[in-house]
Amino acid sequence: MSAAEPLVLVVEDELPLRRFLRTALSSHGYRMEEAPTLEEARRLAPVLLPEIVLLDLGLPDGDGMDLLRELKAGSPVPIIVLSARGREEDKVRALDLGADDYLSKPFGTAELLARLRVALRHAAALSGAKAEPTLDLDGLHIDFANHEVKRGGEVIHLTPNEYALLAALARHAGKVLTHRQLLREVWGGSAAAQPHYLRVCMAGLRRKLEQDPARPRYLLTEQGVGYRFRES
Amino acid sequence: MRIGGALGLVAAATLIGHFAYRHLDLADVAMIYLLAIAVAAARMGRRIALMTALLCVGSLDFFFIPPRFTFAVNDVRHIGTFGVMLGVGWLVATLTERIRSQAQAAQAREQHAQALNRLASVLAEDGNVQHVKARVESYLERELHCAVRLLLADGEGHLESHADLAEAERAVAQWTFDHGRPSGPGTPSLPGTSWIFEPMGRWGVLGLHHPDMGPNRQSLLPAFAAQIGLTLERIHLEAERTQAHLRAEEEQLRNTLLSCVSHDLRTPLSGITGAATALLEAEGLDRAEERLLLGSIHQEAGRLQRLVNNLLDLTRVESGRLQVQKEWVLLEEVVGSALARLDDVLGARPLELRLADGWVQLDPVLFEQVLVNLVENALKYSAEGSPIRLEGRLEEGQVVLELSDLGPGFPKGEEARVFEKLYRGANSKGTPGAGLGLAICKGIVEAHGGCIEARNLNPGGQIRITLPLEGEPPQEDA
Repeated sequence: MSAAEPLVLVVEDELPLRRFLRTALSSHGYRMEEAPTLEEARRLAPVLLPEIVLLDLGLPDGDGMDLLRELKAGSPVPIIVLSARGREEDKVRALDLGADDYLSKPFGTAELLARLRVALRHAAALSGAKAEPTLDLDGLHIDFANHEVKRGGEVIHLTPNEYALLAALARHAGKVLTHRQLLREVWGGSAAAQPHYLRVCMAGLRRKLEQDPARPRYLLTEQGVGYRFRES
Repeated sequence: MRIGGALGLVAAATLIGHFAYRHLDLADVAMIYLLAIAVAAARMGRRIALMTALLCVGSLDFFFIPPRFTFAVNDVRHIGTFGVMLGVGWLVATLTERIRSQAQAAQAREQHAQALNRLASVLAEDGNVQHVKARVESYLERELHCAVRLLLADGEGHLESHADLAEAERAVAQWTFDHGRPSGPGTPSLPGTSWIFEPMGRWGVLGLHHPDMGPNRQSLLPAFAAQIGLTLERIHLEAERTQAHLRAEEEQLRNTLLSCVSHDLRTPLSGITGAATALLEAEGLDRAEERLLLGSIHQEAGRLQRLVNNLLDLTRVESGRLQVQKEWVLLEEVVGSALARLDDVLGARPLELRLADGWVQLDPVLFEQVLVNLVENALKYSAEGSPIRLEGRLEEGQVVLELSDLGPGFPKGEEARVFEKLYRGANSKGTPGAGLGLAICKGIVEAHGGCIEARNLNPGGQIRITLPLEGEPPQEDA
C-alpha cells in the first residue's frame, strides 16, 4: 500500500482520454487504475484505496455526483472532477459537495499535473502533516502565524476580512474555492446570500497586493465558480 | 294614437267644411276632406288612411250632401265622389308606404355599410389573432350594445371555451360551428336561448349575448361574421407565409454554415491527420522534426476546439435558450478574468486599460466570452505589436465599453454587418476564422438588453458595447 508512486483512480468512459491520462500519469510518477463506469468505480474504490480520484461527471450509467458523495462520505480521498466547458453550475455543485478541484475538458498535461499536485499536497496537510507557517510567491510573503503580509519586504495593512480571505485562499494555494466556501470561511454562515461582500473584499485585496488589479498575478478569478490563489 | 289623429283630421275637415259651406261649393268641401285623407295617407300608414277615407266619406255624406244630416244620397253623382276619395286615399297611402320603406331600406343599407366599414377598419389594424379578437369584441360591444365573444376553433375543430358561457351554451356554440348555421333568437335554430351564435367559417363562432336588435340589425351578423372570418384567414396566411419565409432563410443559413464550417473543420483535421500519420509511419525523424509535427497537431487541435466552442455558443445564443443570469460584479474583475484567459494570445501586445471603478450588472460567465472574442478579434486584425485599448465608463444607468485597435478598421458602410453570422469583411482574407465570434458577442450583448456597434476610428476600428444598469448597485460596506 505504501508504494512511492501515488495511485490515481480514473473514472472516465472515454477510451482516448483514459489512454492520454495513462501516458501522462505514468510518465510523471503516478500509477493509474481505470474504471469506465460508476459501477466499476464503486467496486474498485474500496479495494484499491486510491490516493486521488479523477471523476468524469458525465458517465453513461449514472450521475457522477452520486459517486462523489459516496466517496467523500467514506474517506477523505481527494477528488478532481472532469467536466465540459460551460457547465459552471455543475462544477460549483461538485465543489460544494466536497470535490477538491476541477478540470475543464479538453485540458493539457501541465494543468492536470498541477491540479493533482495541489490536491495531494492539501490531502497530506489535512492528514496531519504540518501546514507551512509561511508562504512566499513572487515577492509576496504571508506569515500565517503572525497574520502578516509583506510585498517586496514592505508590510501591507489588510483589514481583518481581507486577511481572512487571503489566508483562506493562500492556505489552499492552487485550489479553487467557490464563492460559497469563501463567504462561509470569512463572514460565517449568515453572509452566504451577500456575494458582493466577497467581490468588494477581493477588489480591495487586489488593489493592495497586485501590481495591476485588472490583471492579477496572485488572486485569480475563476468566472462563475470562485477564486484561486496561484500555486507557484 | 294614430286613430286619434285620424279622428282629429276628420273632425277638423268637417269643421272647416261647416264654416266654408256657406261660401263654397260642395265640391270644395269634398276637396277639404280629400286633403285630410291625403295627409292621413302620407303620415299614418295604409290602414289608418283607409279608415280616414271611410270616415271622410261618411262625414261628407252625413253633414254636407243633401239631404243633410242623413246618410241618404239624392244625387248618384256623389257616389263617384266617394269612390274618388277612397281611391286617392288608397293610392297616396300606397305610394307613401313604398317611398318610406325604400327610404328605410336605404338608411339601413347605409348603416350596414357604415358598420361594416368601421368593422373593416378595426380589422385592418395589424396584430395577431388575439389582438384582432380583443379589438373586434370591444368594437362590436360598442356597436351592438351587448356582450360579444369571439369563440375561436382550434386545429381540431373544438371551440375555445369562455367563462361567460354555460355548459349548454358552449354546446350550442359548438353545434353552430359544426353545422355552419346560426342559432339563437331571431334564427330558425334554438330561438329560445339568450345567445345568438353566428358561424365564421372554419375559424369559429361569433356570439352575442341578449342582443337588442331588430331583424334589420340582425341581418348584418352574417356579413360581420364573414368579414371577421376573412381577416382571420388573412392573418393565418400571412403567418404561414412568414413561417415559410423564415424556414427558407434558416435553410439557406444552415447550408452556408454547413459548407463554411465543414471547410473550417476539415482544414485543421487534415493538418492533424497529416502530422499524426507522418509521426506514425515515417522512419528516422529527428527530434526537432517530431516536435514540429507535434506542435502543429497541438495548434490545429486548439483551432478545432475554438471553432467547436464558437459553434456551441452560437447555437445557444440562437436557440433563444441563452439564460442570462445577471449579477452585480466589479468591472475590473470581469475584464480581468477575460484577460487572464487571453494571456497566451496577448503575449507581449501592449494593452491600455482604462476602467472605471464600479459595479456593472451582467452575467459574468457569458460576458467574459464576449470580451475574449472581441479582444481575439482585435488582435487578429491589427498588426503584431500594435497597441489595443480597452476603456470602460459608467454613465447614467448604463456602462459603456470601448475596445479600439489600430488595424484596418471595418469595411466602409458595412459596420453593422460585421455582427452577422458568417460575415467576413473584405479585409479578412487570409485571416483564419469562420465569422462567428462577433455574432456570438452580439447575441450575448442583446440578451443582456444592451447593444453593440462597430465604427471606424482614424486610424483603426472600435467596438462599443452599451449595457443597461437597473436598480441600485450593492453598497460597499462589507
